[in-house]
Amino acid sequence: MATALLILHGLVAVALLGAITHQTLAAWTPSNVHPHSFFGRFRAVQPAGYANAIVGLYVGAALLGAIVYLYFKVDIQPYLERDRHWHVLGLFDLKEDFAAIGLGLLPAYWISWRRPFADERGRTAAALTTILGFIVWWSFLVGHVVNNIVGFGS
Amino acid sequence: MTSAPAFRRFALAFGAGFALIYAWARAKGFALLTVYPSLGIILPGMHRSRDVADPVLDFLAPEVYWYGWTATATLGALVIGSIAALFPARWSRWFWPGWVWVAPVLAMMACVYLTIPWFRQ
Repeated sequence: MATALLILHGLVAVALLGAITHQTLAAWTPSNVHPHSFFGRFRAVQPAGYANAIVGLYVGAALLGAIVYLYFKVDIQPYLERDRHWHVLGLFDLKEDFAAIGLGLLPAYWISWRRPFADERGRTAAALTTILGFIVWWSFLVGHVVNNIVGFGS
Repeated sequence: MTSAPAFRRFALAFGAGFALIYAWARAKGFALLTVYPSLGIILPGMHRSRDVADPVLDFLAPEVYWYGWTATATLGALVIGSIAALFPARWSRWFWPGWVWVAPVLAMMACVYLTIPWFRQ
């Protein structure tokens, strides 16, 4: 059961990673990038259209992560402590913290994309998207390091 | 910031409040609840196994505070967001919308600081 949930958590995270990366680049990259280049096509999305999907995927990934976390604390963390993987446990602690902070940002993120104010010029939306993008990338990479800790760095 | 609708004021205040309260709860150990996944029990407030049992037995009943910190931050942010939503709309011009992204950045930096002990072992 835990393995199935972990795989599902990872799959949702992959979808979230793709969506938030597209949106972050679309929010920050100038639109005068060559439209037929790979990067030009990559950023040529309507960033506001991603907001609903990103909120749904973030909540889904967080809920699955919150369930899998119970198995981690009981079955995995004692072994990491026994083998003195303190740095990995520290990185994972930050993943928990960042993920929670990102969860709290979702209402502001959603409203800033769905009903932007003209006087803000999208800066709040772009800043929140960047923070969420950082959190998602951090969580994804640290999750993979923890998942593959036996072979990591060997 | 010009006057904003109630939900927008709620969302911006909730986001900033959640981040700051989470970092505060994390620093002060103020968890609304403690989960013991191996025992299948949830206790209100913050409890440490090592306070009532030998620390070497800690692995038998590892406690989880993350849910409690998140619950604390959610409750506090709901109060702050509700107050912001109830304020007259014209007052929102005094609230700089940048706080909604500055606050989480500060909170994340605080969490990095609180995690340093892991990297000194």
